[in-house]
Amino acid sequence: MKFIGLIFKSARRSKRRTALTMISVALAVFLFAALRSVLDGFAAVSAASSAQRLVTIRSTSMIFSMPTSHTEAIRSTAGVTDVTWANWFGGIYKDPKNFFGQFAVDPESYLRMYPEVILTPEEKEAFLADRTGCIVGDGLAKKYGWQLGDRVVLQPGIPVYGSLDYPFTIRGIYKAGSSAVDNQSMLFHWKYADERSSPQGQVGWVVTRVADPEQATQVIAAIDQRFANSPYETKTETEQAFSAQFASMLGNLNLLLGSVALAVVLSTLFVAGNTMAMSVRERTTEIAVMRTLGFRALTIFLLVVGEGLLVAVVGGAMGAALARVVVNAEFLGLAGGFIPLFGVNNWNVVVGIGLSVLIGVLAAVIPATMASRLRIVDALRRVA
Amino acid sequence: MALIELRDVTKSYKRDAIEIPVLEQVSITVPEGDFLGLMGPSGSGKSTLLNLLAGIDRPSRGTIRIGGTEITSLSERALAAWRARHIGFIFQLYNLIPVLTAFENVELPLLLTSLTKKQRRDHVMTALGIVGIADREKHYPRQLSGGQEQRVAIARAIVTDPTLLLADEPTGDLDAKSAAEVLTLLQRLNQEYKKTIVMVTHDPHAAERATHVLHLEKGTLVEQAAAAR
Repeated sequence: MKFIGLIFKSARRSKRRTALTMISVALAVFLFAALRSVLDGFAAVSAASSAQRLVTIRSTSMIFSMPTSHTEAIRSTAGVTDVTWANWFGGIYKDPKNFFGQFAVDPESYLRMYPEVILTPEEKEAFLADRTGCIVGDGLAKKYGWQLGDRVVLQPGIPVYGSLDYPFTIRGIYKAGSSAVDNQSMLFHWKYADERSSPQGQVGWVVTRVADPEQATQVIAAIDQRFANSPYETKTETEQAFSAQFASMLGNLNLLLGSVALAVVLSTLFVAGNTMAMSVRERTTEIAVMRTLGFRALTIFLLVVGEGLLVAVVGGAMGAALARVVVNAEFLGLAGGFIPLFGVNNWNVVVGIGLSVLIGVLAAVIPATMASRLRIVDALRRVA
Repeated sequence: MALIELRDVTKSYKRDAIEIPVLEQVSITVPEGDFLGLMGPSGSGKSTLLNLLAGIDRPSRGTIRIGGTEITSLSERALAAWRARHIGFIFQLYNLIPVLTAFENVELPLLLTSLTKKQRRDHVMTALGIVGIADREKHYPRQLSGGQEQRVAIARAIVTDPTLLLADEPTGDLDAKSAAEVLTLLQRLNQEYKKTIVMVTHDPHAAERATHVLHLEKGTLVEQAAAAR
């Protein structure tokens, strides 16, 4: 403990150099935590996806719709216990920058299918009873300061929904019961949108509940087989695979983000290592003097490593704290729809700071070894 | 009673394949409480001899016994502990740590002891008091004059109450007035506090303050003068 002051003083020797090294470590940890949080967001959605739910979209792309008759056909497929459907609305709330997910859903079956959308019984009843009612996630409500009963007007963003504004009344503010649903979206009656759509009777995707997850493969095959060679061929997947495909749309996200993080960490390691080596070289005489006073080689080694650790951990903590504040879907306004809720969680912070510890130790090992192996007489002679 | 006993100490350095002799068969005995001056021209081996006495260099041959301990046989680790306990070293260029205050510089060797923070403070203030610079405890080296810096360095050397004080040209970088003050201080440490001192110097005036003076030339002891004072 009595050497801590010495480590602090040494680290403050060149404030600018120390600050720049801290910033480089902070940036590395920030980037690492940010990238990790995005990957974790996708992973959490996949992990929380129900094994009992299947998602059916058009085989060509999910941007194409299919007729509502598909829902009835799917419902009659063996092994299917419930069906619901939804459309992507893509409306604009005041300004295109105010992006959030808006889904036209069949309210009753949708809430039945997604018990993770948590509403009070009163809110649920009010929503079901109001054709122009909507429910919004508590995160979204907080972001825009919405209350129950508020009117929200969306301008259609996709031509199929016409050109007139869609006024809604907020009938419920839901909580997300798991990562399978986000709290940044808006859900409203499919019929309300459908009656002003051209063509009418179209759904974006159908969600199916199967009685037995073990039979999901057979049910998937049966559904897609049913629409094979029709104008509206389908592609059915488990909800998990459906969620994962958003990540895969961005390519091999894990590899890409992992490589970026590794490159940043390695370059920071070299920067910090070079800085430490420079700092030790400048202190050759001081180290020789300390050795003359009786400091053991190991003590000198630990002092240099301690200094590297201090600089790196302070930088790492700064980076992790910044990431914690800045990197979350709400702050960045990216939440809702198909973008998972992401944020730097405690584990990301711990791993980020752990990474800074690693950077600190690895960067200091060579300079610390140099310092501890210094021949006192040579070092004193070099300056004198 | 002899505090320092050097027996046939030889030291040579290797530069590439060539062996350069620095000290040859030097034998010295220094009694406890002595103030020994080591003189000689540049390259005569006097600083090397001092480094050997401090245990920061090892002889090629011969033995060095200080306070009954044969330091030539100690491991690096044991030697470091021995230096911390028994040696106070004063450098020509003071060699204070620039980021530490005068107090912290003097406290540095005490960090290696088991003293409490309060005990360390008492020791440091006593040492700074002896060298007459207690009022500058919070000053950094850059805020001190050369003479004051050397006093802090002397305080650092005596703070652990070492067995032996070694001074390598302690006045070499000082003006005449500061040099005289530093020499008076060393003399006081020798006479009042009974410290055994070995001082390397070029300066005959500085050597006059020693109780004994030895001359080295080309690595050998050429003269042993006893100055009766």
